[in-house]
Amino acid sequence: MFSPRVSTKDKERIELLQGTLDLLILQTLKPGPAHGHAIAKTIEFNSADVLQVEQGSLYPALHRLIRHGWISSEEGTSENNRRAKFYRLTTKGRRQLTIETSKWNKLAEAIARILRPAEQEG
Amino acid sequence: MSRRKRMIEELDQDIRDHIAIETQDNIERGMTPEEARHAALRKFGNIAKVKDETHEVWSVMWLERLFQDVGFGVRTLSKNPGYAIVAILTLALGIGANTAMFSVVRGVLLAPLPFHQPERLVIIGESRPNLNLKEMDVSYPDFQDWQRDAHSFEQMATLTWSSYDLTGSGTPQHIDGMQVSAGFFATLDVPMVLGRDFSRSEDQPQGAQNVIISNRLWKDRFRATPQVLGQYLKLDGADYTIIGVLPPGFRFLTEADVYTPLAVSNPKLCGDRTILGIVSIARLKPGISIAQAQSELSTVQAQLDNLYPAADRNLGIHIDSLKHDFVGDTAGMLFMLLGAVIMVLLIACANVANLLFARAAAREREFAVRSALGASRMRVVRQLLTESVLLALTGGLIGLGIAKLALVVVLGGIRDSLPRGENVGLDWTVLLFAFGVSLAVGVLFGLAPAMKSTSKTVFGSLKAGGRGSTRAHLRSQGIFVIVQMGLTLVLLTGCSLLLRTVRELRNVNPGFEAKNVVTFKVGLSPSMSRTEIDVQVAFQQLVDRIRQLPGVEAVDVAVALSLPMSERDHSGSFWVGAQKPASMQDAPHALLFWTGPDYLRIMRIPLLRGRFFTPADTLKSERVIAIDDDLAHTYFPGKNPVGQTINVAWQNFGPARIIGVVGHVKNWGLNDPGTDNPSQIYISVYQLKNLVVPDLAKYLTIVVRTPLDTAAVMPAIKNVVYGAAEDQTVYRVRTMQEVVSATMSSQRLAMVLLAAFAGLALLVASIGFYGVISYSVTQRVQEIGVRVALGAKPRDVLQLVLGQGLRLAIAGLIVGAVVVFLLGRSLPSFSQLLYGVKATDLATLLIASGVLLGVAIVACYIPARRALKIDPIVALRYD
Repeated sequence: MFSPRVSTKDKERIELLQGTLDLLILQTLKPGPAHGHAIAKTIEFNSADVLQVEQGSLYPALHRLIRHGWISSEEGTSENNRRAKFYRLTTKGRRQLTIETSKWNKLAEAIARILRPAEQEG
Repeated sequence: MSRRKRMIEELDQDIRDHIAIETQDNIERGMTPEEARHAALRKFGNIAKVKDETHEVWSVMWLERLFQDVGFGVRTLSKNPGYAIVAILTLALGIGANTAMFSVVRGVLLAPLPFHQPERLVIIGESRPNLNLKEMDVSYPDFQDWQRDAHSFEQMATLTWSSYDLTGSGTPQHIDGMQVSAGFFATLDVPMVLGRDFSRSEDQPQGAQNVIISNRLWKDRFRATPQVLGQYLKLDGADYTIIGVLPPGFRFLTEADVYTPLAVSNPKLCGDRTILGIVSIARLKPGISIAQAQSELSTVQAQLDNLYPAADRNLGIHIDSLKHDFVGDTAGMLFMLLGAVIMVLLIACANVANLLFARAAAREREFAVRSALGASRMRVVRQLLTESVLLALTGGLIGLGIAKLALVVVLGGIRDSLPRGENVGLDWTVLLFAFGVSLAVGVLFGLAPAMKSTSKTVFGSLKAGGRGSTRAHLRSQGIFVIVQMGLTLVLLTGCSLLLRTVRELRNVNPGFEAKNVVTFKVGLSPSMSRTEIDVQVAFQQLVDRIRQLPGVEAVDVAVALSLPMSERDHSGSFWVGAQKPASMQDAPHALLFWTGPDYLRIMRIPLLRGRFFTPADTLKSERVIAIDDDLAHTYFPGKNPVGQTINVAWQNFGPARIIGVVGHVKNWGLNDPGTDNPSQIYISVYQLKNLVVPDLAKYLTIVVRTPLDTAAVMPAIKNVVYGAAEDQTVYRVRTMQEVVSATMSSQRLAMVLLAAFAGLALLVASIGFYGVISYSVTQRVQEIGVRVALGAKPRDVLQLVLGQGLRLAIAGLIVGAVVVFLLGRSLPSFSQLLYGVKATDLATLLIASGVLLGVAIVACYIPARRALKIDPIVALRYD
């Protein structure tokens, strides 16, 4: 996903990272509905291309989010007038995004602290 | 179109759109259409895999995830083999013990009797409500009247036990038999595999001598040939025609090889309404309850009471289900033992839960990271549950092996003291039980640690460098340890109480000396005359010859029922003085003992007054009896009974002069409280005549006092018996000590099992206790280090660790003591087993507590020693 190739042996790690991709999708849909390709492009663009999404992996994630009821899908037309499926953040998804974001911040903080224990504790 | 199909198409379309847009973008960036498409596909990744993964999201994913979890669980557990092995073995012991105990309960109590619609089978006894006697045998004429008048039953039958000398081809053999009425097999609904059942017309006095044989005898003696029908079987010298063969495995309470018609074999018994000598069974009509049958038959019996006042006055009816009658009082004891073994399982589970807690604590950071990265709490809980269920199922599997072993080793020796013991084994219900218990254990005891260690506060654990909720863990572990200690104390106390009971029982003076007494029966040669006199003479001659043998101190003959604790007894009415009571049913009852003159010397029963029988007391001389001191005190208070006259109503024995007073014997076992039917009367075997028994020889037993070992003395005795006639059998050889100790079999069974359970509990609980204290020392290394650095002495450190352990142990002991007191008051199935000690005996409780406390101190001491060795410098750097 972020790393281009994830060996299937490390299923656990995929699982760990799935959560993060979910978070990124939710964030991307925050301003408004978008189709799959646009979501992938936005993530790449916004992360200054650091996060290279293997675009296909987006789809299982999108459908998982639908199952959770965090996003919904609808038919629409893309910017170049092609018919496409659009994904939209639901109210539940909006709430989930807040929770996930705060969790993520805490984690990042904590990991940062662990990685820099000397500076922290003097 | 199905929903799923539509979703697949939509996804395909979505992916196509995606790639089309990307291709279009690439073309706009200046690629050739072909390049653009390739680049788009490359960027998208493996389309088939994406589709699969998306489909998985839709499908029910729990199975998939289960496999994932199991795989991960196996990997995690194998990284910590020590932990996994301890947990699995602990559970295996707990589940194994439970499975073994359950298979006993199932085989004895839960499994239906092996007959068609067994719930409709009942046993009918007569009762004497005025004497508080229930479940007595019944008289044959009464039974016949019931059969005619009662309508609650589809079919009724009677039976009595007997045994025969089987002679003819092959070595003479003594075999067990039953005398049954026509309709016995039909009532049980047991079909013959060969031949036919008895007909009504056969079951009459003077009827044909026909016999139905067991499958075993058919195979052993007749090589399972179908030509067996019509052949003869020589039983006690008479030829019986074989008319039927029973299916394999048939047994009614005991195993028997030959079945004869009751009226043919036992005409005297069948003609006498006063002899309550047969067992009556019946099959209820569908829809009729035991209570309904009881009330109907009671009405019938009330008419008989009026019609035959001499024999039947005050007789009532007692109907019980056949199964309940078979199982008897065992149910309470078995359920008590099942309760005990469940305690062992709880103790084992507490251990595993503690292990899970400790491990969950160690893995807290892992869980925190995982949940922060988006794994839902349920996901982590499920992972932990999978691990604990995995442990429990593996433990259950090994437990099955342990159960199998336990059934062979532990139960092998005591199986015979259980009714339906032959029915105990591992079958699919037991397997299901083991599986269910394992699953429940895995879920229940995995859930608490899993919930706890994934609770919201774990984010603290990231901040706190991983030791945030250690205290909370220790608290939960402390509770488990207290429960463990408490339950172990309950089991230890129960086991010690039974140990004391068995010791007390061993010290009980039964009124006779069982040591060095051996008893056996002799089947007289079939060619001998069976008159009472001839049988008596034959036995007298045998006794005289055995007396000559070296090592034989004393020998005599007695009626087998007369031996104390023989599980069966005979009582009869008597009255003192000339005035015969209006009805014999209201006259006092005494146990009757028929013995030879040397009996007192053999059994070492003290002679208190007068004399005992001599060879001069015969049918030709005056009738004499001896009484026990109980009867003497009750009916001749302050007088010398010797020389007085007692009338023994039984068999019209008539007035007899009391010649002596002997000591009272405990007739029903060492724990016989002596409150029921305490009076005892001795009658000389050589003054018996006109007995109802068809063959006196079968009722006689020879009693020998010899200091020699049974194995050493029996060959010589057998030589004497065979010397008299080669076709005589010697059977039912038992020492009196065996007979006496058989009366303690319930206590011993309970004691052996409880001791095993208590030992197991002690082992498991001490491991658990050690584990928790040890874990807490590890968690407190820094704290202890700081204390040492601040000047704490080794004594203080020791006190710190031991103090913590002792606080837990003592809390556990208090909990246990409370449970002991509550159970002691509310568990009659246990307190009934006890003798000479109360269930709430304080001394026993204190001793058990002492043992447990000692073990706890040892279990604490090892980690305490480790705490002493903590180097403050190292400890403070410890993370």
